[in-house]
Amino acid sequence: MSASSSIQALEYLQGLPLHTHRKLYEAPSTVLAVFRCMLPHLAKSIVMAMLYMPSSFPAADLEAWFKPSARGEREQALSILDRLHILTSKREDDRSLSYSLSSGFQRSLRQAIEGSGTHRSFGVPATKAESGGKRLSIKFLDQHARAQWEGILFFMVSGAAGFEPGSVNMDVGPGTKKLLHAGDLVRTVHGSPRITKEGFSFVLQETNAQVWNLLIVYLKMTSDLGMNETEVLSFLFMLGSLELGQDYSTSTLSATQLQMLEDLSSMGLVYRSSKDSRTFYPTRLATTLTSDSGALPGSDISTSDTKSDSKAQNKGFIIIETNYRLYAYTNSLIQIAILSLFTKLQHRFPNLISGKLTKESVHRAVQSGITSAQIISYLTTYAHPQMQKMNPPLPPTVMDQIRLWEYEGERVEVTNGYLMREFEFEKKYRDCAAYAEALGVLVWRSDEKRCFFASHVEQISAFLKKQNEERKK
Amino acid sequence: MNTIDGSDRHVKTDTAPPPSLLAIVLDTNPHAWAHLSSSIALSAALANILVFINAHLASGNANEVAVIASHSHKATFLYPTPTPPKPQVRHGTNGDVDMNGVDDYKGPQAAENPNKYRAFALVESAILKNFAKLLAETTENHLAATPTTLIGGAISLALAYINKSSMLHAPTAASAESMSLASLADSENIHIDRVNLTSRILIISVSGDLANQYIPVMNSIFAAQRKKIPIDILKLAGDTVLLQQASDATGGVYMKPDRPEGLLQYLMMAFLPDATARQSLVIPNAGGVDFRAACFCHRKVVDIGFVCSVCLSIFCSSVLPDNLCLTCGSYLSLRSALINPPALIPRKKKKKRKAGTDSATPGGSTPAGSSTPLHP
Repeated sequence: MSASSSIQALEYLQGLPLHTHRKLYEAPSTVLAVFRCMLPHLAKSIVMAMLYMPSSFPAADLEAWFKPSARGEREQALSILDRLHILTSKREDDRSLSYSLSSGFQRSLRQAIEGSGTHRSFGVPATKAESGGKRLSIKFLDQHARAQWEGILFFMVSGAAGFEPGSVNMDVGPGTKKLLHAGDLVRTVHGSPRITKEGFSFVLQETNAQVWNLLIVYLKMTSDLGMNETEVLSFLFMLGSLELGQDYSTSTLSATQLQMLEDLSSMGLVYRSSKDSRTFYPTRLATTLTSDSGALPGSDISTSDTKSDSKAQNKGFIIIETNYRLYAYTNSLIQIAILSLFTKLQHRFPNLISGKLTKESVHRAVQSGITSAQIISYLTTYAHPQMQKMNPPLPPTVMDQIRLWEYEGERVEVTNGYLMREFEFEKKYRDCAAYAEALGVLVWRSDEKRCFFASHVEQISAFLKKQNEERKK
Repeated sequence: MNTIDGSDRHVKTDTAPPPSLLAIVLDTNPHAWAHLSSSIALSAALANILVFINAHLASGNANEVAVIASHSHKATFLYPTPTPPKPQVRHGTNGDVDMNGVDDYKGPQAAENPNKYRAFALVESAILKNFAKLLAETTENHLAATPTTLIGGAISLALAYINKSSMLHAPTAASAESMSLASLADSENIHIDRVNLTSRILIISVSGDLANQYIPVMNSIFAAQRKKIPIDILKLAGDTVLLQQASDATGGVYMKPDRPEGLLQYLMMAFLPDATARQSLVIPNAGGVDFRAACFCHRKVVDIGFVCSVCLSIFCSSVLPDNLCLTCGSYLSLRSALINPPALIPRKKKKKRKAGTDSATPGGSTPAGSSTPLHP
């Protein structure tokens, strides 16, 4: 689902400094994409309520607007808005707190939903002269995108799955290869690519999440390539708001973006007929970046019947029985290769392979860095429609057993975060821990030792600072 | 190891809110807007509503919108553009003609504006075009015929559209596709709780004097109540009797802003949050609701009326032709109601005073009742 994929992007965005956010929010298409995909539902309501508010929004009023039972959700929404630098809080003269939208964000979002301004950030469609009068079909674009993307996946798993290099078509560009190495998804061992632990989790994700994952690696590389991070990001968000099957002009793009276009076309996100073509087509991989129409089943069916064959690929095809036998209706090499990572395959028929989940096969997968959660989520995502009817889709015994097999090997789970301790007195500890819990960052707490563990600390430190100030008064 | 006790088997539950369908019923009564033009003109209001629609569409990726104009002589869809009714003749290949017609229609109108998100541009141009068409169709005869608007018909259209879309949404695509693969026999097991559409109706009303449509509007309200569709009311002008009841019965928002100029802020703050967000927000509603009904004979709002004991129709006067109910035709003599005034509160007082005499009445009647068995 897009929920999981946009979370990565959200985390990346949250990590950006204030001035990057400022620059980013200059483009209405970026702001709209951030609003549509990154914000939690209540945060959207808050932003929209404040968008046309003539004055700032007093915190007391905001509090009164929410039901008392929804305190946790409110804190969470406000903290995300704060971390993305969308909301700024200010002390009024009478010491009361009030919120307002950051001016750049407000202006751009207004422009985006009014359709005003002359920013041209939603893509400039190609003119007749540029496009040459002939448009490509959506079907062709889908095929192109799938071929390119599966090529990348195949490049990654081919080593582990034991295929001979060159036995299947995998034309992965040098730029993409470099990207995979930079993201530590693939390492070169003895001259052939060897997938890493991160690579495994990448492969088992949904396509939309994979694309975001790779793009985030790309974003982190931009500074090495001498590209401007904000320009790259806003171009990506612009791509997400384009229309599938429409060709767009390259005339308004900057040099950075032109270079990006080349990299992205080798990944299959955009299509260009030739390197110096004056137009480009976004493919479905790109246009679903900021929406879940591709990931959500069926919301897109009415608009395209051409998707049927690529849907058949992504639709569920795996059946698991309670005796750990696995049947997969597929003839795609890539799916077979992925399944073989954690399954003991036994038979192969023209449209079906069968195998068994065994202790050895799962252990092998766990040793190479795949977690049980990844296996289960992969199997759930691609479960056959017949199995999807059940709730949960997978047989509980199988799910538990996969977990148990994993836990045999490793019993420690790692969470990065911060240990908060040495509170001066009990109340401060309790307030602080309660605040962390409301934010949803609390991982563990021990009331006797007066310490707790939180996954994020920025909000808590701000909270502590505020409390200290108040006490001093 | 404690985590493997089967309690957290759900790997991840999708917390994304369900898509939401917003059906806007816009009262375009020319008389009422002419009246309002000093504070907010129809064009300005429409511009505000378009921004509001865009905000709604932006709030969720799968959000949908429908706009219905409740005009003086007809109620019609502004968005989605109604497909012109085709003659019912069926020739062999007629099925596809309809589709092609729609595609041709959409092709050229898609405004290629690089400053505007395409999804917004499509909705906007369709609404503006249909609205202009509606205004062009309105003749002076239409205006002279009635000073009010067809709100009942418009709400019915909205309800019908919502019903249709939720039926399209309810069987999920996954299960619809599996129908071909899976046996049809166990189609009852298919989960319908996966992608359910949450819908609501927003009525932007400017006309008063809606009591003449009391019956159709009340019927729509009950239909909405049954389907759990909240009806939000934004009352810019006019009296409030009927629509206040609509929002009260269905749990919607009711607002009668004092300053119609600030329409957009009212829309954005009070009417934009959908059902999911409303769970954690305090929503404004009408403080005191006017529950008065309109009579079935003259469409007048009445404080005290007469009710048919068979069909519960309400009448304002006791004089009925031939003592027959106008709605169901059953015998209904209201004369006795006139002689004994039906006021409730005075009777309570009487009860206390006449405690002694009251007990005498049943006493007097019992012998008469008990005497009947003696006769045969």
